[in-house]
Amino acid sequence: MICSLARAGRGEDYKPVMPAAAETYSLGAPVEIGKIEQELKKLWREGEGAMTRASLMNLAVYSEDPGSLPSNTQLMARITENHACRAIVIEADCGADDDLVSAWISAHCHVSSVGGKQVCSEQISFLLKGGCTTQLPSIILSNLDSDLPLYLWWQEEFREPIDSQLWTWVDRVIYDSHGWSDFRSQTRLLEVMQEEGNQRIVLCDLNWTRLDNLRFALAQFFDHPASHHRLAKISKVRIYFAPGFRSTAVLFVGWLGAQLNWHIDEVKSSGELRFTRASRQHIDVDLRERNGEPVHEIALTSGDVEFRVTYAHCGDLLEVSRIHNDENRVPQLMPAGNNDPVGLISEELIRGGPHRVYLNALNCVRDLL
Amino acid sequence: MNRTADQPEPNPLREGLSARPVPQPCSIVIFGATGDLTHRKLVPALYNLAADGELPPGVVIVGFARRDKSDDDFRRDLEESMRKFSRQPVRDEIWNAFAQSIFYHRSEFGDEAGYERLTKRLEELDKSHGTRGNRLFYLAAGPDQFESILKNLKAAGLNQTCKGSWARVIIEKPFGTDLASARELNRVVRNSFREDQTYRIDHFLGKETAQNILVLRFANAIFSPLWNTHYIDNVQITAAETLGVGTRAGYYEDAGALRDMVQNHLIQLLCLVAMEPPTDLSADSIRDEKVKVVRSLHRWSRSEIAANVVRGQYTKGAIHGEPILGYRQEQNVNPDSQTETFVALRLFIDNWRWADVPVYMRVGKRLPKSATEISIHFKKAPAVLFNKDLRDLNVLVIRIQPDEGISLRIHAKVPGTSFRIEPVKMDFHYGTSFGKPSPEAYERLLLDAMSGDATLFARADEVEQAWAFIDPIEEAWHAKKNAPELYFYPAGSWGPEAADDLLAREGRAWRRL
Repeated sequence: MICSLARAGRGEDYKPVMPAAAETYSLGAPVEIGKIEQELKKLWREGEGAMTRASLMNLAVYSEDPGSLPSNTQLMARITENHACRAIVIEADCGADDDLVSAWISAHCHVSSVGGKQVCSEQISFLLKGGCTTQLPSIILSNLDSDLPLYLWWQEEFREPIDSQLWTWVDRVIYDSHGWSDFRSQTRLLEVMQEEGNQRIVLCDLNWTRLDNLRFALAQFFDHPASHHRLAKISKVRIYFAPGFRSTAVLFVGWLGAQLNWHIDEVKSSGELRFTRASRQHIDVDLRERNGEPVHEIALTSGDVEFRVTYAHCGDLLEVSRIHNDENRVPQLMPAGNNDPVGLISEELIRGGPHRVYLNALNCVRDLL
Repeated sequence: MNRTADQPEPNPLREGLSARPVPQPCSIVIFGATGDLTHRKLVPALYNLAADGELPPGVVIVGFARRDKSDDDFRRDLEESMRKFSRQPVRDEIWNAFAQSIFYHRSEFGDEAGYERLTKRLEELDKSHGTRGNRLFYLAAGPDQFESILKNLKAAGLNQTCKGSWARVIIEKPFGTDLASARELNRVVRNSFREDQTYRIDHFLGKETAQNILVLRFANAIFSPLWNTHYIDNVQITAAETLGVGTRAGYYEDAGALRDMVQNHLIQLLCLVAMEPPTDLSADSIRDEKVKVVRSLHRWSRSEIAANVVRGQYTKGAIHGEPILGYRQEQNVNPDSQTETFVALRLFIDNWRWADVPVYMRVGKRLPKSATEISIHFKKAPAVLFNKDLRDLNVLVIRIQPDEGISLRIHAKVPGTSFRIEPVKMDFHYGTSFGKPSPEAYERLLLDAMSGDATLFARADEVEQAWAFIDPIEEAWHAKKNAPELYFYPAGSWGPEAADDLLAREGRAWRRL
């Protein structure tokens, strides 16, 4: 197996340049594997104009999708606008006959919105072929910016074997459970991964991140102490979700269940569920598929009040309203967030800490996913 | 920071969400609603909070002022200002919804009937907008109106609330002009509102970097053992402005730089730098520690003031190549004015941690650049090995504005065969490391006041202690005999030479900005 030979490969078509101010989406200059750090230093030395290299984390992206290197480079160009990092972008072609590793280095430079400086993040791109794909851990570990956490965005489904060499280094693993074909086997692999990482890895499910603004919009109804009693009287939950996003809607229900101490009582159909709370009262959950945003409307009925969160017509705002017979409906607009990968990753990167609430939600509805 | 101890059980749906809980719905009544502060800062801050989803539905803004205006006129005026001064671009759909919660109430500040009408209006808004009897009164009017407003609020019963509701008052600076007037103002406020209902705003404390001082000190173990007289040589706090008095000459002529900036902003920054670790992050624990610092400030005797406090006034000069008039030539300024536009102080904190560490403060208008920063100058390493000829100290700089961040100056060997040592700077910029711009100070402070968190607001005793420190200096300056000299400096310079001498006589110099 020849894995240490670096070759321009597809990079021959890409411009080997250090961007000045404008962003380019090229993979940059091809480099030899053993000389990446040296070449990065050279890149900064020879860069034109005044630039500041910044890095708060190592953000590695792994994909087996052919052509993912340029598309992930484009994503990185946008992500680094707000999250300075060392990006390590990897495309693996496990089925290739030849064993090969190709590498490129480039930089994403943006004029900072604060202070007007040109802030640059560096990117190392790898194309791994054939048997070289097994060298993923060593490729990542040898190219980390020291002392910074490692966030690994895994764009594939997890599969065995789980490599302890890699996972003991990962601080946060980012994935999107929305596309998982077998939820149960994937969560089992996550558990193995967690064991390898001594329960230190923070699980960041973009399918959960998708619900952030909706959860925020719904939670604010109950911030006022006078509204707390409404939580104990919720009797109905109605959620509209887009085709393919049932798991997202179920996770939302899992969140309500875990936080409000509900337990699954009955699964009438894939769209009709019944929960019970400690007081033995029932909560009927109605999941309905309809075109639109992944989860585009949520309504909770509590006594004679309906709390509703729905997408406003302009798309990037949520309309939240409390509907009661005797009261005026006071709708309010709140940010809906962005459901594209850059928006979701950015949302994920700004928050820290463990996702205990996510794990509780997942556990509450694990059997329904 | 913490919320008050009497907060009820938390909302279980809040757990793990990155944003803080939305405050309770309320009516915000702004006195001085047609003024600059409302247009440039307060309403833009409230709009930005609404656009970020940080305000609950049912927040109502009632502008209280003397001019004749309709709700729609007021909304139109505010929209125009919003488009100029908002931190984020104004989105029509958000503004239109937000504007529906803005109302105008015309009344003289001293007219009792106007407050009775206000009470009725707020009660109606409680019903129509679900504000639940919660009231936040913002005194953005001139300080000469405070007493009248507070008395009338009390007379109309607006300082009282029914069970489960709250009434709070935010008071803009200046909190008095000396200790006696501050005590009187506190007495007037206390007649209408309890201390826990009173929020004295100092917008410096709402700035991200000011809040970060506590994080820097108490979340980084490396600084803790060094933060004392054994390792720190001196502390410098600078608040420099290129601007002159502008339209504030009427106020500034009476106030001067010492009252306008030192008594509040600079002493507050000093407190954050010098305070002991609080027992917890509650408002009173932090303020207890801050007030101890102010109480420990060494009071100079009348004869010592000239040697430790320098006052100056700018004369004509140039900034960025533009000619600048002298202060006495500015509009509405007395041609013989004795008002200081610059102050430099050498002070000491008489406590165990800071004994013998001089703190140098300077604040001035028409200086070469605008910058506010705190610099901690560490003591020299022992004068052996490399350190015999080193002049520069290790310096930790906390930049408050602009370009918020922190830098640390250390020494490094210059590459080569000789042993030459030069200072190098390790530099952290908020703007480089975090792409997201910080919220405006007023956004943070308004949200805190709505949420009942007084941590970033000054307490009555802090204000009084600060005046107790300032008063002897003002008295010395205004003495008929032997008053310390007022020095002059050309606009565009770093102040009078006497300010440099404060440090030079001890072998020190101001940090070059």
